[in-house]
Amino acid sequence: MELSDEIIINAPKEQVYAALNDPDVLRQCIPGCEELVKHSDTELEAKVVLKVGPVKAKFSGDVQLDTAGAPDAFSLTGQGNGGAAGHAKGGADVTLTADGDRTILRYDAKAEIGGKLAQLGSRLIQSTAKKLAAKFFKSFAEVVNEKTPA
Amino acid sequence: MKDEVTREDRVANLKGMGCSRKRVEDARFTQGKGNYVDDIKLDGMLFGDFVRSPYAHARIKSIDTSAALEVPGVLAVLTADDLRPLGLHWMPTLAGDKQMVLADGKVLFQGQEVAFVVAEDRYAAADGIELVEVDYEELPVIVDPFESLKSDVVLREDLVAEDGSIPAGAHGPRKHHNHIFTWEAGDKDTTDEVIANAEVVAEESMYYHRTHPCPLETCGCVASMDKVNGKLTLWGTFQAPHAIRTVVSLISGIEEHNIRVISPDIGGGFGNKVGAYPGYVCSVVASIVTGKPVKWIEDRMDNLMTTAFARDYWMKGQISATKEGKITGLKCHVTADHGGFDACADPTKFPAGFMNICTGSYDIPTAHLEVDGVYTNKAPGGVSYRCSFRVTEAVYFIERMIEVLAIKLNMDAAELRRINFIRKEQFPYTAALGWEYDSGDYHTAWDKALKAVDYDGLRAEQAQRVEDFKAGKTRKLMGIGLSFFTEIVGAGPVKNCDILGLGMFDSCEIRIHPTGSAIARLGTISQGQGHATTFAQILASEIGLPADSITIEEGDTDTAPYGLGTYGSRSTPVAGAATAMAGRKIRAKAQMIAAYLLEVHDNDVEFDVDRFVVKGAPEKFKTMKEIAFAAYNQAIPGIEPGLEAVSYYDPPNMTYPFGAYVCVMDIDVDTGVPEIRRFYALDDCGTRINPMIIEGQVHGGLTEALAVALGQEIAYDDMGNVKTGTLMDFFLPTAWEVPNYETDFTVTPSPHHPIGAKGVGESPHVGGVPCFSNAVQDAFRPFGNTHTNMPHDHWRIWRTANELGLHD
Repeated sequence: MELSDEIIINAPKEQVYAALNDPDVLRQCIPGCEELVKHSDTELEAKVVLKVGPVKAKFSGDVQLDTAGAPDAFSLTGQGNGGAAGHAKGGADVTLTADGDRTILRYDAKAEIGGKLAQLGSRLIQSTAKKLAAKFFKSFAEVVNEKTPA
Repeated sequence: MKDEVTREDRVANLKGMGCSRKRVEDARFTQGKGNYVDDIKLDGMLFGDFVRSPYAHARIKSIDTSAALEVPGVLAVLTADDLRPLGLHWMPTLAGDKQMVLADGKVLFQGQEVAFVVAEDRYAAADGIELVEVDYEELPVIVDPFESLKSDVVLREDLVAEDGSIPAGAHGPRKHHNHIFTWEAGDKDTTDEVIANAEVVAEESMYYHRTHPCPLETCGCVASMDKVNGKLTLWGTFQAPHAIRTVVSLISGIEEHNIRVISPDIGGGFGNKVGAYPGYVCSVVASIVTGKPVKWIEDRMDNLMTTAFARDYWMKGQISATKEGKITGLKCHVTADHGGFDACADPTKFPAGFMNICTGSYDIPTAHLEVDGVYTNKAPGGVSYRCSFRVTEAVYFIERMIEVLAIKLNMDAAELRRINFIRKEQFPYTAALGWEYDSGDYHTAWDKALKAVDYDGLRAEQAQRVEDFKAGKTRKLMGIGLSFFTEIVGAGPVKNCDILGLGMFDSCEIRIHPTGSAIARLGTISQGQGHATTFAQILASEIGLPADSITIEEGDTDTAPYGLGTYGSRSTPVAGAATAMAGRKIRAKAQMIAAYLLEVHDNDVEFDVDRFVVKGAPEKFKTMKEIAFAAYNQAIPGIEPGLEAVSYYDPPNMTYPFGAYVCVMDIDVDTGVPEIRRFYALDDCGTRINPMIIEGQVHGGLTEALAVALGQEIAYDDMGNVKTGTLMDFFLPTAWEVPNYETDFTVTPSPHHPIGAKGVGESPHVGGVPCFSNAVQDAFRPFGNTHTNMPHDHWRIWRTANELGLHD
C-alpha cells in the first residue's frame, strides 16, 4: 500500500517539527490512539485501535525515527501487530518546507499489510488509510494552531 | 366404452428413463426444510473453531493458550502437541502426501490451522480464538512455483532427510526440495522428432489460474463419540462418506463397524468436499476428549482461503501440423502449483489426474505430456470445481492450442477442428496418451452446432465489424468463442482407479416391498445433482415399478452399500450402471416368479414395461406389483422368499461425453465490458435419463465457467496474503451477468454402459471455460492477439485492448 500527500499547516516549520515529536500531540491526533510512549528521541511505542471494514483490533506498534535531516526532512519506519486481525510494517519519508508563516508538509508512505486485514482487499485499506491520515492532519492542524501564539 | 390404458400410458406412468420427471428433492429445498450439517443440534453439543495463521510461511516459537482458557465457556484448546500422542497431528492426503492437522513447528499457508478452540457456543469460541497468543517467526514466502523450484528455502522440512538428501515421494523421485513429482505420458522421442521436422509448429504458454468452487454451503461436521456404546457418529459435508469412514478408522484406530458416517443434505460439493480437513479430525478428537458432540462449521473466508482450491496449472504447448492443417504431434509441459501440501483428490495412480486427455477430440498420432508438481506457500489441493480430475485444464489447453494453430495457419478455427476430429468409425479410439474413448460422433454434433448458430453468418458479421471498428464507426469488437470438448468421467475401472487403495467401483442395493414399492440405496451421495429423482427413473424403466414408488437413499454408511461417492461425474456411469444391473437381477427373479404364477416355463414370459406377459398370449400377464406381493406370499419351489438384489459395479472403462459450444460476445474496448450475446451448448452424454436435470446441470456448469473465465480467481500477493478471500473480491455471477443459455443435444450411447449413459455434470464447466475464453481471444485475434491469460475481467480486457494499441 502506498500513500502520499501534501498538507499546508498554518504554523512555522520549527513549531510543526516540534509538534510532530511531541507525544502528547501525537496521542491526541492519531485516531484511535490509546497509549503513546516516547522512549527516546528516536523511538516511539503506541497502542492504537483500528477499524478497517469489518475488522477491528488493537494494534501494538513501535516506530523508529531517523531525524538526521530535521527539521527539513525526516523518516520513520515501524511495525504494528494486531494479533488475529493482522500486522503491518512500513515507513514514511516526510519533508517540511517553509512557505512564509506556513509549512508545507509532504509525506510518502509505504506499508506492507498482512493477515486478515490484507484479505479485505487493497481498496478498503487504501481508502481507510487515506481517511485516517486526513483525520490525523485535521486534528494536528487544530492542535498546532491552538499552540501558536496569537 | 372400455377404459383402456395404452402402452404409452403405462410407460408414462412409470416416469422412467427419458422423461423430465420433476425433482423430488425440491419440495424440501424450496421450503427451507432441508437437513444440512449445521441444522444438526444435539444435547450438550460444543462448538469448535480454529486459530489460523496470518502468515503464509512462519516458524511457531510458542503457543500460549492460558488467556483463551480463561474465557467463560471455553473448554479446551487443542494444539499439535495434544494430537501428537494420538499420532493425529498429521494425516495422510489423497495424493500420497501428508498434511498437518494442526501446525507442527511451522505454518505453510495463510489461514493454516494452528489451534482448535472448543467452547460451549460459537461466541465463546470466537473470543477464545482472539486470545490465543502465537509467537510466529516469519520465513521467506514463495508464491511462484518457478521460483520455488530454484529457491534455497525449504518449504517441507519433513520431506528432506537429515543428511540433506531428498527422498523419493509417493509418485517417484523428486528433483528439488520443493518438487513433488514428475508424471509423464506418451512418447517423448517420437513426438520431439515429429515436431522438429514439422511443416508448421505453433507454441504457446498459458496459465489456468487458481480459483475455488465456493459452494453455497461451506464445509463442516458434527462428531459425536458415544462412550457407552463405543460408537462414533460423524455427520459431515462428505462427497465420499464411506471413504471417510475407512480413513477415520485407519487414523483413529476405532474399528469401522463402530463408526457411522452420515452425509445429510449437502449444499453443493463440486469437489470441495471430497477430502478430509483438519476440522473433521479435530472435531472427532474433541468429542472423544470431552465426551460431548462437537460441531465445526467454516465461515466463507475459511472456505475460500484454506479448502480444496482448483487449477493453478502453468501449461506450455507445442502443436505441429501439415500446411493443410492436419495435426501431426502435440507436446505439453505443466508446472503444477499444489500449495503447501499435495492434497489433490486424484485416483492414486494419477497425480496429475486425467490431464492426459489433452489430445482432446482430435486424431493426433503422437503426443507427450510431462507434469511437474511443486510446493508453494498457498492452500493445499488442486483438484476440484467440476474438473473431472484435471480435465478442465486438459481441455482448456487443447482448445486454446487449436486456436493458436489456426492463427498460425491463417485458417478458420471451426474448419481446423473439423478436419482433425476423430472420425465416428475410429471408435473405440485409443488416444496417443493412453485412454480408449468409448464412442463419439463429433462431426454430426459440430455440424449441428454450427448450423444452429449460423456460423458462416456470424463470421461475416464479425468481418464487417472489424472493418467498422477500423473505420471508427464502432468501439465494440465481436468475438466468436468455440469449444469442442471430449470429457473423461466415470472413474473408474478398479484395475487402475483407486482412492487410497479403495477401488473405484460403486453399488446399488434394492429391496422391493410386498405392496409394490421399493427402496434402493447407493454408494454415491447427491450434493444437488438430483439422484433421488434420476436413479429412481433408471430403476423404474428396469423393474417396471413407478419412479414415484421408489425411494432412493444415500449417505448413511450404516445402511448404504460401500461406494466411492460422488465427484468427477461418476455417479451415473458407475452407480447408475450398478443400479441398472441390480434392477436386472430383480427382473430376473421376477421373471421366475411370474412364470410360476402363470404356470409356464421361465423362458415363456417376457418383460413388457411394467409386467411379464406370456409370449404370444399378451392377455395373460402378471404386473410387477402382483409379482412383488407373490415374493412374500407364495412358497415357490427353488426360489427364496423376498425380492431384493445388490450389485457392485466395476466399470470396464471410463465414459467419454462430448459437446460443441459456441459463444458470441460483444466487447467494448474502452470499458473492457464483455456482453454475452449468445451461448449455445450442445451436449452428448449418451442416453439421457432426465432432460430437465441435464439442462439444469448445463446451466449451472456454464455459469461456473463464466465465473472462472471472466473474473473469478484466488489471487495471492507476494507476502502470501489471499487477496480474494471474501465475496467482495471473489466473483460469483448473479442474474445480471448470466446470459440466456440455449441447450441442445445429440445422443451417442456408451457401448459398454448397461444403459448407455455417460454422465453430464461436469461437461458444461469443462467445455464452457475455453468457450468463454476463446470468445474474448477471438475478438482480439484480428488485432494480433494469440493468447491472453484468464481471468478476462473488465480491467484485464481493457488492458489487452490497450496493449494491442486499440486506444490510440
